[in-house]
Amino acid sequence: MTDQHVRPRSTSLSRRAFLSRFGLAGAGAVFASRLLEGPAHAQQEGTFQLRAPEPNPKYGGTLRFGVHNAPAHFDVHQSGTVGNIGPQGPMYDCLIRRDPRDGQTIIPDLAWKWEISPDGRTYTFFLRRGVKFHDGADFTAEDVKATYQRIISPPKGVVIPRSPLFSAVSEVAVLDPHRIQFKLKEPRPRAFMLGAFASGWNIIVRKETLEKNDWNLRNVMAYPGTGPFRHVSRKDKEVWVMEKNPTYWNKGLPYLDRVEVYHLPPFSPELGSALLAGKIDYGRLLDPVTWRKAKESSNMTAREFNQSVIQAVWVNNKRKPFGDPKVRRAMHLALDKHVLVDVVRDVAPMMVGGFVYPFHELSTPPEELGKRLGYQKDPKPAVQEARKLMAAAGHAGGLKNVDFLVRDAATYKLWAVAIQSMLKEALNIETKLRTVQISQWFEEAAAGNFDLGIAAIVSALMDPSDYFTAWYGKDGPQNYSSWTNEQFHTLARQIERELDDGKRKAMVRQAEQILEEDPPLLPVAYEKIYDSYYNYVKGQDPTRFFGIYDVVRWDTVWLAK
Amino acid sequence: MRKYLLRRLLFGLVTLVGVSVIIFVVMRILPGDPLVAMFGIEGFAKLTPADRARIMEELGFSDALPVQYVRWLHDIGLGRLGKSFFRAESVADVILHRGPLSAEIGILSVVISWLVGLPVGIISAFRPNSWSDNVARSLAIVFLAIPGFWLGMLVVLALLFWFHFKAPLVIVHLWQDPWANFQLVIGPAVVLGLSQGAYIARMSRSCLLEVIREDFVRTARAKGLIEGLVVLRHALPNALLPVITVSGILMGFVLGGSVAVEQAFGVPGLGRALVTAVIERDIVVVQNLVLLYGVIFVVINVLVDLSYAWLDPRIRYR
Repeated sequence: MTDQHVRPRSTSLSRRAFLSRFGLAGAGAVFASRLLEGPAHAQQEGTFQLRAPEPNPKYGGTLRFGVHNAPAHFDVHQSGTVGNIGPQGPMYDCLIRRDPRDGQTIIPDLAWKWEISPDGRTYTFFLRRGVKFHDGADFTAEDVKATYQRIISPPKGVVIPRSPLFSAVSEVAVLDPHRIQFKLKEPRPRAFMLGAFASGWNIIVRKETLEKNDWNLRNVMAYPGTGPFRHVSRKDKEVWVMEKNPTYWNKGLPYLDRVEVYHLPPFSPELGSALLAGKIDYGRLLDPVTWRKAKESSNMTAREFNQSVIQAVWVNNKRKPFGDPKVRRAMHLALDKHVLVDVVRDVAPMMVGGFVYPFHELSTPPEELGKRLGYQKDPKPAVQEARKLMAAAGHAGGLKNVDFLVRDAATYKLWAVAIQSMLKEALNIETKLRTVQISQWFEEAAAGNFDLGIAAIVSALMDPSDYFTAWYGKDGPQNYSSWTNEQFHTLARQIERELDDGKRKAMVRQAEQILEEDPPLLPVAYEKIYDSYYNYVKGQDPTRFFGIYDVVRWDTVWLAK
Repeated sequence: MRKYLLRRLLFGLVTLVGVSVIIFVVMRILPGDPLVAMFGIEGFAKLTPADRARIMEELGFSDALPVQYVRWLHDIGLGRLGKSFFRAESVADVILHRGPLSAEIGILSVVISWLVGLPVGIISAFRPNSWSDNVARSLAIVFLAIPGFWLGMLVVLALLFWFHFKAPLVIVHLWQDPWANFQLVIGPAVVLGLSQGAYIARMSRSCLLEVIREDFVRTARAKGLIEGLVVLRHALPNALLPVITVSGILMGFVLGGSVAVEQAFGVPGLGRALVTAVIERDIVVVQNLVLLYGVIFVVINVLVDLSYAWLDPRIRYR
């Protein structure tokens, strides 16, 4: 099986050129498996060029982008926050990437072509020639190997949250300086693996950089990348300034001369006021009030898109009576999710969802989900069912002194009070709120010191096989409820290996059903992201983005002013 | 005088040791783990207990508390303020880069407090219970009651929606661009200065009310001096002593208040660095910044004490 995404050049073809290319393509198809390097590859390699979607983009100018707090360290691979990927993303490339014009399609990046073997166990990437790191060093397959070996098997002292995405990879082999092969010990769905390779986190770093720094880049501020922008200066907790990489491999990109990334706290008045006052051109993670104001403004564009975050209540299965699925399902049904989304509408944008991303193609569609108990706009049938379940579990009279661990943030404090009231009113469950700072929340949750706990967790991919392991897996690092369900775990392993999309979809729906009956957590909402920018910012529309981690390079962006 | 100075300095040193012990202990008993901020939520979740213990050891936080405390003081003695364990920023660099901005805000706010407080106090004292006195006293109470950070947020919003104005997002020093620097510091300085000005107004009013009933003021008037000279040359200098004492204490309030007000205005000064460090549980930065604030407070108080003799020759130190 060959998977290629190479955009044809839009210039007109002469008869001679057409025949010549047709002949080469035919020969390439016949000998593809044998060709190591050849004119067909070289020719195709030259054809791919990313462009802004508009016809006549302008060059020059500085984009001022406001996003998140300063990073805690500089190692993108080891990070899980936009504090890193926001400012550092523009300086690096990946093997393959999500198209910044739609946020979804996987397109070439440092690999101009890739092949997947029919059994789905071998991924071969063909790398660009002549690509240079910002320090002038040549980019080769050895850099890719060093990068991925560290991601797949982090050395001691290095923790990389995306390592599990590549748990099936058994070998990374350099075939030649411009070809690299990943061998899998068992097959994985193509969308899952390609999504993992295209994740914005998996930037390619120079082998020598890793070796020189003992494979840990936490305190290395500006290590060289191959990306469209290169480091100029940085003021801690203020701004990170980058300039155009004049030798960027994608000829014609980037359009901007400079990018200035300002560290402004998410959902803060500071970020909102910086945007509205014109101190920045583009604001990400805006609060709803600022976003609505921007939407009303004729010279600004406001966009919303899906984020890779679930907001939920974890229920400690190790404490009685929360090990009983009936009690957990009753609490799940007692939460009026539409009201919960409304409760925080002026603080953070949210949407209703269940145990899987409500907008993913494998998930139950929202309109179907809306008919299900626990997701209906009228909560009465769900509450009636919840009361029956509590009675069947022997807790018709409710529960007292339930310890409710609340993460100290505006959304969680609002939700905690609403959930406290819903549980009391519907099931006579009396909770005691215990609000703690973020780091303490995760400490307490990991130690199991809670009955209920509200917070949020993220996933790298939209594909269920990523978070079925991390969120709901038996030893999943974010399975704070200590939940287990053998039927689900077996099914999740099958979903992970199934290559047929249709069968996979059916299995995911089956998994959803198990999760509904035996909830590992109580879904509260799914986060959305509010972006806004001045109308003169062109070349990128975030509407179809998934999360804020994959498309942050600004290479197709230009300023119409 | 020398004995007095030594005694004051010794008291100051004891105060600083107290501050250092309190902040050292508080930072260690506060719940929360710096590793969450360092690794992010996902990364933290994947750390094994052994990983956590090893990283804390690397950061120097697994030694016994007295050992850590003595090591910290030893480092300070050698002029080493340490590095933030996020991004490896030097605390000395943080102070040098952000300190001038916070110092400007502090000094400017005290100047504003005097410029506003003294005239209001004088008018109130010389026309007690008049409408101007009543207005001045009411305003003083209002500014005393309003929290600085809240007033700061209102000012930020008013400037944004009425004038489409927002101060620069990054630090601009006075010597780099005076106008941009002024835009950064004026908001927090006015907000802090107004609330301190209210204290100055009330204090100067009550002191002046006492002084203007003294014989020497009556004598000055009796010999035919105009009212302005009576106030400026005779009454005010004698009423200023308590006001100066209060100003020293107020400088401490300005230091404390600047933490919240810098946050409200989004000014990247030392106060904001302190808030971020507390949120990140960046122990090294918090310890050293709090100690720095303590040193400044103690030094100001010693200077205020010493200024008494200069202002009032009748005072002698024993």
